[in-house]
Amino acid sequence: MLELIPLALTLVALAGYGTGLHRLRRRGVRWPVTRVAAMLAGSLCTAAAVLPPIASRDELFPVHVGQHLLLGMAAPALLALSAPVTLALRTLPRRPQRILLRLLHSFPVAVLAAPATAVVLNLGGLYALYLTGLYQAAEHNDLVHAAVHVHMFLAGGLLSWAVIGIDPVRRRPGTWVRLPALIIAAAGHDTLAKLIYAWNLPAGGGPIASRHTGAELMYYGGTVIEVALAAVVMAQWYLVSGRALARTRRSSQSLGPQLPIALPSRRRGWAPLPLSHLGRISHGPRAGHKRHRRRNSPGGELREPVQANPEKLRPHPTPVSARVASVSPAER
Amino acid sequence: MASSHVAGDGRDAAAKQTRRSIWSGVLAGVGLVAFIDETVFHQLLHWHHFYDKSTLAVGLVSDGLFHAGGFIAMVAGLFLLADAHRRGGFVPKRWWGGLLLGAGGFQLYDGIVQHKLLGLHQIRYHVTIWPYDLTWNLIAFIMILAGVLLMKGQAGIARSSLLRSDARPAG
Repeated sequence: MLELIPLALTLVALAGYGTGLHRLRRRGVRWPVTRVAAMLAGSLCTAAAVLPPIASRDELFPVHVGQHLLLGMAAPALLALSAPVTLALRTLPRRPQRILLRLLHSFPVAVLAAPATAVVLNLGGLYALYLTGLYQAAEHNDLVHAAVHVHMFLAGGLLSWAVIGIDPVRRRPGTWVRLPALIIAAAGHDTLAKLIYAWNLPAGGGPIASRHTGAELMYYGGTVIEVALAAVVMAQWYLVSGRALARTRRSSQSLGPQLPIALPSRRRGWAPLPLSHLGRISHGPRAGHKRHRRRNSPGGELREPVQANPEKLRPHPTPVSARVASVSPAER
Repeated sequence: MASSHVAGDGRDAAAKQTRRSIWSGVLAGVGLVAFIDETVFHQLLHWHHFYDKSTLAVGLVSDGLFHAGGFIAMVAGLFLLADAHRRGGFVPKRWWGGLLLGAGGFQLYDGIVQHKLLGLHQIRYHVTIWPYDLTWNLIAFIMILAGVLLMKGQAGIARSSLLRSDARPAG
């Protein structure tokens, strides 16, 4: 009976997501299909982890590790990429939407959403599970077993949400916080896998060979997922900084020449740029762009286009309330 | 217009581009060695062992950090490389210099600290080990030397990409 609860929860989440999609579609609002795919794939991973044949054989250590990879790493990452909170904020009725918004702005959520919290909860849970007698206890007690799985999923979800999440949180840390957080979590995970191998853990994990196989699966499987997460973090950085770069280029192109007069030259050190280049790229100030000139570059000086600082730019620079407010009245 | 001011701006920007290229190279270099170590020596040749009974616990921590960090560094380095190209500020000589420094530095750390001091694992088992260790660290040393050489002297921004991406008209 206990096995059916996670499946039921997955189905409820899917139904909720589907309802949200339906409401958006009725309003004629587009929702990226990649997010829907992420939701479906995440649900699939969750279901695979909690259903037979995996769930019924998780007394074998390698199977348990497979379950851990699916439930604690792959599924949360995919679900975080499906932007469930954004969808909820855009489609919930007014009152629950307010409650959700207040919750998102609350102090406990800010603490939970911090990468440091997520890393500590993840690694703490994992180290406690495999280095202490917790794994053995979970084998004998269904409730402990369930609690371990819930913690695994939630802690993984928190980490994914903090590191690759695209939902609006109050202060999303920059790339150069999220990437090191990911490295620490990944290093802790890989170290634990080797400790399990070295010390023939976990207690109650069956034959030594089986424990070793599990540890190796944890090490290499974990690496694959961690590299994928890093690719997502960097791709998000690349897209955001690309938008910033395009903005700077647009505004500096309206100011005149955008290249520095002098460029490093292979042969002569600093060489002046041929005037033909300036002629080709300078379009002169255009009407309607004077605002930029005044704000960005006093006196219309040459503005180097590469100075935008992508770390300053978050995927969602506007506060949650402002974004929701800007969306809801029009759609309502 | 103060031309010296403009040239100074350009020089600052060029220094920034150069730093970007160097860091991109260093990260890619660390990642490259981590990748070669994992695929060639662990998986293909089976020279290295997943775990060696003489390993200290701190060796496992170091290994975990460099295993995860190496692969993630490769991903980050490649995205930084794409970014440098996109900004038209890719400095090939410095990138290769950074790559060799990163790769050599990590290989030297692996060869001396991880293999020898922390006893993580040896390069190969059931053989006379010192020629392997010598070759390993010598290659690391040569890579570092080549990297240092590439870091010196004039280096130009890759011109073609600079003109291609920066000279694009607005619309």
